[in-house]
Amino acid sequence: MITFEPSDDQKLMIESVAQFARTVLRPRLRETERQRSLPEDVRRTAHELGLGVVALPEIVSGAGLGLVTAALLEEEVAWGDPAAAFAFGGPGAFGLAVTELATAEEAAALLAPFSAEGGHDRFAAVAWGEAKPVADRAGLATMARPDEAGAEKGYRLTGEKAFIVNADRAEAFLVFAQVEADKGLRGLGAFVVPKTARGLTVLPRATTLGLDAASFGAIRLEDVVVPASARLGTHLDEGAFSGAVVRFFARSALLVAARAVGLSRAAFEVTREYVDGRKAFGKPIGHFQAVAFTIADRAMDVDGARALVWKAASSWDAFDRARWNLPALGDPAKSAPPPKERECLLATARAVATAHEAAMRCGDDGVQLHGGAGFMRDYPVEKLMRDAKQLALCSLTAEHADQLAAACALGLPVDPALVLPTAESQNAFV
Amino acid sequence: MTIDISLTKRQLETREMIRAFAKNVVRPLALGWDREGGIPDDFLRNLAMMATSIGSNAMSTGLGEDAPKDPSKKKSGGGNLFNALVAEELSWGDGALPLCLPGPGLGGPPVRATGTPEQKERFFGVFKDMAAGGPLRWGAYGLTEPAAGSDVAGIRASCRKDGEHWVLNGRKCYITNGAKASWTVIFATIDPALGRAGHRAFVVEKGTPGFSVGRLEEKMGLRASETAELVLEDCRVPAANLLGGEEAYVSKEGFMTAMKTFDNTRPLVGAMALGIGGAAYDHACDFVKDHYVLSRPIPRYAALAERLAKVGRQLEAARLLCWRAAWMADAGVPNAKEASMAKAAAGQAAIRSCIEAIEICGAEGSIAGDNALLEKWFRDIKVYDIFEGTGQIQRIVISKRLLTDLKSF
Repeated sequence: MITFEPSDDQKLMIESVAQFARTVLRPRLRETERQRSLPEDVRRTAHELGLGVVALPEIVSGAGLGLVTAALLEEEVAWGDPAAAFAFGGPGAFGLAVTELATAEEAAALLAPFSAEGGHDRFAAVAWGEAKPVADRAGLATMARPDEAGAEKGYRLTGEKAFIVNADRAEAFLVFAQVEADKGLRGLGAFVVPKTARGLTVLPRATTLGLDAASFGAIRLEDVVVPASARLGTHLDEGAFSGAVVRFFARSALLVAARAVGLSRAAFEVTREYVDGRKAFGKPIGHFQAVAFTIADRAMDVDGARALVWKAASSWDAFDRARWNLPALGDPAKSAPPPKERECLLATARAVATAHEAAMRCGDDGVQLHGGAGFMRDYPVEKLMRDAKQLALCSLTAEHADQLAAACALGLPVDPALVLPTAESQNAFV
Repeated sequence: MTIDISLTKRQLETREMIRAFAKNVVRPLALGWDREGGIPDDFLRNLAMMATSIGSNAMSTGLGEDAPKDPSKKKSGGGNLFNALVAEELSWGDGALPLCLPGPGLGGPPVRATGTPEQKERFFGVFKDMAAGGPLRWGAYGLTEPAAGSDVAGIRASCRKDGEHWVLNGRKCYITNGAKASWTVIFATIDPALGRAGHRAFVVEKGTPGFSVGRLEEKMGLRASETAELVLEDCRVPAANLLGGEEAYVSKEGFMTAMKTFDNTRPLVGAMALGIGGAAYDHACDFVKDHYVLSRPIPRYAALAERLAKVGRQLEAARLLCWRAAWMADAGVPNAKEASMAKAAAGQAAIRSCIEAIEICGAEGSIAGDNALLEKWFRDIKVYDIFEGTGQIQRIVISKRLLTDLKSF
């Protein structure tokens, strides 16, 4: 049943995270930007608030609060500092990927340490992206070759993975690599590789446009030997594996979109305050229509994007309740049947593209309405504008999301080649 | 409860049922209605009966109340939200249809919000016979004037008390169902210099001496919906028809009456816009599916997909904003800002959708056979960013609620 109001529990959680954002994250925004990381006490508080594992289900040692609650809290965190959610300890996207690709037992074992004491200091990462596309075939350049004595003996990984969130902090990577060269993105495997694996080199961290407290980097794999048990998803057939990869990307992108909503709201609010106080020609500049209408438009952007994020999150929660046999939300006799995966993907794609557009517009107009002051680092708005663009490139981009949405809406097959950020996806509809 | 953006089984079933009706019954007739400039009474009567049977008051006799102020007494489904769902689907069939439905229409909310019990009984009583098969009746809402549209405070239609009557003079224009209405809520002023404080609202009944219909407008779209000019020439309206009685006008209430109407109707009008925008979007999706070979590379295709996706998400975002505003109205929460956001976003998204759809379908899309509705939607949709407050007026309403001490521009 349509409800746009958080539950009492959700309100309490929002309030405690909002307070953390207001009193800790926001005041230290520039400090953490300069330090290019979050200090330990901040990460510890975030860990105590459970922020690293909100979105993960209980069966894999998560908090089991669902994606709606996760989206609400991600928004609050990002309002304080859009980089923070990437820089808290915890499994991050690794957790979401493992939840979809591994068996429940494997996932619980891999993820339990992040909820435990000391989890604020532990990171894991997903290594998907690659700096250079493959020239002569579809798929990823990084190869996973079965051991000469057979795949049951393990694999050897070779290649270079880039654009990895927390590459320099992670203790383990989920590396996506090509197992069957001729099958494109349908021939992939996912391998859990510890940072300490012989032949794995963490490359120097990148200098980025924004989100400085987060960390973006790369790893090189030179004939890295992993056991067969490191490969996740062997219980899934090829189609199911692809589906799980798309699901992971979509859910992870949805949480990034929730951060984009928080960022949008932050940029909107500081800008509204600025135009309220700044006077020109004898009155607050907000009292000129060109400014006031821009404020109104950006308010619509924020609310529209948030509503789409909520709808997508609420669809996934219903989807999860059905697939994991969790208790229903209301009277099952009066509720609609759970949404199909395609509907969840469509809702997610719409939310992702809209939220990133909204964030970019809120950042851009925010700087613009601050005038010269907007360009100066005395005000947070220039950081928010840089962060908005960086955020839009952290997961599914708006362009990929739109391709995914169109595929869902037009009834086309959804396969990884269509939606995932690779060189191949430039020809999504081929 | 938690935040939940899913429809109930009943809402979904209702929506599917109306969608089927819109597709199989309304669509085949829509172009004819557009050409003829009206929808036959028989059709409207059957539809009104169907609507009553599913519990929608989207086309109510007006006797059904709006959402109660006490949320604990909320009807299951919520009246405003349910009506928005119904209106969108009907509009998907034909945009003019929801505007032609018998009942008090836009005249309903001010009477319900401000009318005395006696007035409510009398004016809504007009519609009582309809359910029993009596003649169809309409109500209307007369605010706009030739020289005062968005600037509601600037209306010039005058009223002065004369014994047991008020004497009204002036012209009202662009009045939906104005010619066939049994009564129209007319706004006039005792003295333009008083601004909003001088406004009075009257229920002027058809046949009142001095009250006549001027021209019927020829419009770009929504041609099956009647749009009339109303003329008041020394029109003597009984004092009992002053909406809410004299005491209602001690403060600025007169103007507030005019505005209150919109908080509930804007999300509804937004939903109607989305019906038309959604129709164009669905058509464009089908067209693309039918006209392109999807299993082979088509260079234009990724760009086309992106355009469709963008339209789809703009419509969806606006739809959720409409649902939110309607949900707030159902919960009795003040929603002026959110109602304006819903209306502004919906009008804009739906217009974009109709333009994109006609471009995507190309020349064929704007003429032949199955595509003939595209040009109609293109014509029908524009006014949704104009009536019930233009997009610019919505932004004034929104920004006044966001910025400090912003009284006027």
